[in-house]
Amino acid sequence: MDLSATPSRSKSGLRSSPRKPVAAPAVAQMDLSTPSKPTPRRKPKAPPVAAPMSPVTPSSVRRSSRLLETPTKVTSETPVKPTPTPKRKRAAPSPSPKTPTQSEPKRQRQRQRQRQQPKKPKKRAYYRKVVYDGGEFAAGDDVYVKRRDGAESDAEDPEAEECRVCFRAGAAVMVECDVCLGGFHLRCVRPPLRRVPEGDWACPYCEAERAGKAIERPKPPEGKRIVRTAKEKLLSSDLWAARIESLWREPDGIFWAKVRWYIIPEETAAGRQPHNLRRELYRTNDLADIEMETILRHCYVMSPKEFKDASDQGDDVFYCEYEYDIHWHNFKRLADIDDEPETKEDPGDEPYNAGNDYVSDSDEDSEYDEEEEPTKCSSARTHQSHALAANLRKGRTYGLQKIGIRKIPEHVRCHQKTNLEKAKATLLLATLPKSLPCRDKEMEEISAFVKDAICNDQCLGRCLYIHGVPGTGKTMSVLAVMRRLRSELDSGNLRPYSFIEINGLKLASPENIYKVIYEQLSGHRVGWKKALHYLTEHFSGGTKIGKQANQPIILLIDELDLLLTRNQSVLYNILDWPTRPNSNLVVIGIANTMDLPEKLLPRISSRMGIQRLCFGPYNYRQLQEIITSRLKGIDAFEDQAIEFASRKVAAMSGDARRALEICRRAAEFADYRVKQSGHTSVNRGKNVVCMGDIEAAIQEVFQAPHIQVMKNCPKFGKIILVAMVHELYRSGLGEVMFDKLAATVLSWCHVNRELLPGYDTLLKICCKLGEGKIILCEEGTKHKLQKLQLNYPSDDVTFALKESPDIPWLSKYL
Amino acid sequence: MPTLRSATASASTAGTASPTAIATPRSAKRRLTSPRRAAGSPDASQFTSPHKSPNVGIVGTPKLLSASPRSSRKRLYGDFVAAEKPKWNPRGKSPESHFSRAQSSDWDLTKEFICSADPAQMQVVKEALHVATVPSCGLVCRDDEQSRVLEFCKGCVEQERSGSLYVCGCPGTGKTLSINKVKESVARWADETGMETPDALSINCTSLAKTHEIFSKILAKFQTRKKATCKLSPLQQLQTMFSHKESAPRRMLLVVVDEMDYLITRDRAVLHDLFMLTTYQFSRCILIGIANAIDLADRFLPKLESLNCKPLVVTFRAYSKDQISDIIKHRLKVLEYDVFEPLALEFCARKVAAASGDMRKALGVCRSAVEVFEARLQESSDQEFGLVTFDHMDIALSKAFKSPVVDSILCLPQHQQMVLCALANTFHHCKKKATTLGELNKSYIEICRSTQVPAVGMLEFSNMCMVLSDQGFMKLGQSKEDKLRRVMLQIDSSDITFAFKGNRFFQKCLEQQKF
Repeated sequence: MDLSATPSRSKSGLRSSPRKPVAAPAVAQMDLSTPSKPTPRRKPKAPPVAAPMSPVTPSSVRRSSRLLETPTKVTSETPVKPTPTPKRKRAAPSPSPKTPTQSEPKRQRQRQRQRQQPKKPKKRAYYRKVVYDGGEFAAGDDVYVKRRDGAESDAEDPEAEECRVCFRAGAAVMVECDVCLGGFHLRCVRPPLRRVPEGDWACPYCEAERAGKAIERPKPPEGKRIVRTAKEKLLSSDLWAARIESLWREPDGIFWAKVRWYIIPEETAAGRQPHNLRRELYRTNDLADIEMETILRHCYVMSPKEFKDASDQGDDVFYCEYEYDIHWHNFKRLADIDDEPETKEDPGDEPYNAGNDYVSDSDEDSEYDEEEEPTKCSSARTHQSHALAANLRKGRTYGLQKIGIRKIPEHVRCHQKTNLEKAKATLLLATLPKSLPCRDKEMEEISAFVKDAICNDQCLGRCLYIHGVPGTGKTMSVLAVMRRLRSELDSGNLRPYSFIEINGLKLASPENIYKVIYEQLSGHRVGWKKALHYLTEHFSGGTKIGKQANQPIILLIDELDLLLTRNQSVLYNILDWPTRPNSNLVVIGIANTMDLPEKLLPRISSRMGIQRLCFGPYNYRQLQEIITSRLKGIDAFEDQAIEFASRKVAAMSGDARRALEICRRAAEFADYRVKQSGHTSVNRGKNVVCMGDIEAAIQEVFQAPHIQVMKNCPKFGKIILVAMVHELYRSGLGEVMFDKLAATVLSWCHVNRELLPGYDTLLKICCKLGEGKIILCEEGTKHKLQKLQLNYPSDDVTFALKESPDIPWLSKYL
Repeated sequence: MPTLRSATASASTAGTASPTAIATPRSAKRRLTSPRRAAGSPDASQFTSPHKSPNVGIVGTPKLLSASPRSSRKRLYGDFVAAEKPKWNPRGKSPESHFSRAQSSDWDLTKEFICSADPAQMQVVKEALHVATVPSCGLVCRDDEQSRVLEFCKGCVEQERSGSLYVCGCPGTGKTLSINKVKESVARWADETGMETPDALSINCTSLAKTHEIFSKILAKFQTRKKATCKLSPLQQLQTMFSHKESAPRRMLLVVVDEMDYLITRDRAVLHDLFMLTTYQFSRCILIGIANAIDLADRFLPKLESLNCKPLVVTFRAYSKDQISDIIKHRLKVLEYDVFEPLALEFCARKVAAASGDMRKALGVCRSAVEVFEARLQESSDQEFGLVTFDHMDIALSKAFKSPVVDSILCLPQHQQMVLCALANTFHHCKKKATTLGELNKSYIEICRSTQVPAVGMLEFSNMCMVLSDQGFMKLGQSKEDKLRRVMLQIDSSDITFAFKGNRFFQKCLEQQKF
């Protein structure tokens, strides 16, 4: 167990003081290679010691901090200019040393100014330090940020952690378990501890679990909820941590901050790795503007060295060694970055460097205004807050994604989209629809299946085979069900499970699926043979992989039929695991073929079970509903047009992708038409997609290209084609000799007073047509004896060449 | 001890907040029960699987304890039909006790208790029917085969000679399960008689990355501490080990090779070498191979016969209907109430036995019948049925066995249906087995013309055919040109006619004969 090397610390009982006195967090890197040295620095701190280095206590008493008197009061008129804030003070144990310069009257003035209308409405005021809502925040501080309003993050904000046994946060000394990070009173642990133990300590519950015994953790008494501290919320990604890069006040009086996000290891692309410490965070290169309102309070993110030395920090101490690049998903050691020249200085620091702003009026001491750069449009900047942080105005955020969202360029956003453009965007296949109509029954069945498998404390392994023609929403339904379950899990109604999604098409070879599954379970990369060995062990009840070994695993395999090997052993293994006792594995396979189980070896189809789910092709009503539900609120389509498109598609394939493509193409046609006809204030009614557009789109999608080719043939090519149809019809044979054909063409030309083509010209044209596979001809060496054959039905030729403007006489031979 | 855990778990599911009064006696009672039963049980393997541990606890209850807590349960179940109403086994019959009357003051509490107990009970039934559950007290219906294998193993161990055995049978006939049981009973027998217990090694050949890896696995079992540093391959090491008296290992090794046909290579060397290992003079291997094919040994190992070491063959026949219903009843015996109507079980057994005799399938059908039953219960809670009836079983069986062809034909898009009609027409009158895509297109266009439906183009047509072949209606051959691909009908053309019986439009399509 590499857990043994986790940094251990004891918790002080008194959490009212901001810097909680805690014993040393060791920075033992949890690499298996490095010998884990026990941490002898564990010192049981006397609880109520106020942190020596922090005179200001902003966090716990922040609601009333205006009463707080800063002890070291400097003359209020001292401008901050002489002591410029270190810009790159990493993980500064805030409050920064400059705090004393802040004077009480000044702060009150600031508060007043917050409420006042700013004097210069056009200007944005930058601050080095802001006292907001009782807390004092400076650039370079690390703070908790609310993730969503409505989450319980601000409902209660316990400063003191409760004991996991007695559920009281008394003044007694607490000790922290190295495994579960739970706090325990020394006297509550069985057997009671006299003092904080040396070295690593795991609570009895964790130890029992590690030994494989089942033990029930003490339940909270009736009516009392387990309150989670901010640290726990952050680590379970209900809160965010961020570093303030700059602070300013908008002209409208709202305080903003530019922050740099921290993320927890679970949110990186690699996921939590075994070497990650429990309190480890990654700094990202993602900056965002958020409102000060969303900032909760301070936390302390430290570099490895500081973390090692920090002996009596509180619960809100985190460890950060690497920077995470959210675009490339790679990690860089922070120490290496800092050695680099300051080329990639954050933009948020630039206002600070602007020295001319420093010498602003001296009565606004730490506050300096700055003229807005003319390049940046103020209105755009105001609304450029991070879309996902909680904000003041609406009080809600959309989506749960945190970072990695793509920014939409300004000029696109300025443009007001027309209905047709909106329709085009929503009809894109890549657009995720808000709801999935017409598959309710199937989704119900899938979710019942999955829930049945994972809800109970004993997960029974099962298989489900989903089949259906392409474009009927198979994968999408399963993923929608899984998203729904995910949100149920988040709200705590479900047992945790792990979900693995694999597409058979994306595997280099079928055997690689073992590798992928193993990597998802454990985070390690091994060869497939080794992975197969470990997985077999795992599912047959041997040594388990990964941390959450007993969680049910839901394995979704898209394009299951691609896993067929010659002896089908891959499928055998995957479908055999759920039939083992205690495998905790649920397999959902998706494929197109209805009869895949019958194609398999009987032993495999026997293991596959009898659970099947068929996604039939959509009928026209369903297609209509799908399209209208996507276009809800956008008035861009005539009803008949949608019905026409969906009927057409339903008659042929019932493929929803096809229907959406046709509609999108029709919208493009309509858009083009509208734009061509200039500004359309006159004929408003024509601004929608009508039948004609759909017709054109269908023509384009369904009509074969050969008709187009025939229509655009040169003159003699057309004559040859028609002559061929004529000859074939007359003779009743399937093919015609070239010399016969040439004779017909020549005679026709003669009759209709066309220019007589040469013999070799005709041969050349025939070869050209043959290359285009309009006709099939034998090799050219036979010259006039070669036989020609029409590649397409003669009706097509007739249809294509019925009206040809350049040779009007041609139609009489058809 | 798993029993203890599950007992407390079920108690905690039952007791939501306050009915600890009920939950405590039960859990306490079970705690009493299980150790005793464990001591009395000869079959130590019973407790390997936590699946059935709650069942064991329940079974043990009536004999050991006074009737009071259990009869209270009975009373509760008798009064509330909201959940699955258990019919009690006759041997568990006991007088109505005062305990329940004493409990009647906590009326609403008990009601709550019942409601929360219901899913747990369903879960127990489902667990009992799950494929992975190993039946607790031995296997029924495979006594004969088991004893044959057991005798063979005993003989080998007694005489300290090697031997090979080949077990064959259809999927889902209990081969692996029986052999595992035999493995355990050999170990027990050796313990009782004071012999040296043979080592056991189970290998599933599908989990081997390479076929000859099997030898290194066997070798690793023999030489635990020695690391294989020699230049010889594992097979050669084994061969030298078995051909010299001094190097031969003392203990016997029971090697169970599951899914043996995965070892078949082109030159059959691995399979051959594996069986040849048992022919060496000082070999200590008892080889048991398991596979589906009856004649694997005959077909692939003709040389063994001449060496007079042909493996003994034990065949597992497919289960008959009596056996299937016996096994299901046996599995459900651990529950103290009936779940299925006897008629329903019989029906299931007959149907499965007629189709394949695959036990996994039978269990799956039973499970899905329970699910159907559950769904019905949720729909209408006031219904009086307490058992899974014939109807439920019928639905489940038809889900499992009914050919989906007709239904899926009916929900195909129109043009694809017309293609099927064209195909049926093609094969209806001539004896031809296959046609080409071009021909089919022609006859399809003919149908379109006669019904005045605009035909789709060739590209779209071949697309539709691809989709149809994906769904298993037809089979498309490979060809460089689309037009020349061979097309064969995979389903019976009478299915098509049957599906379109009521539809005038398609009747007309099907009447098309000339093309």
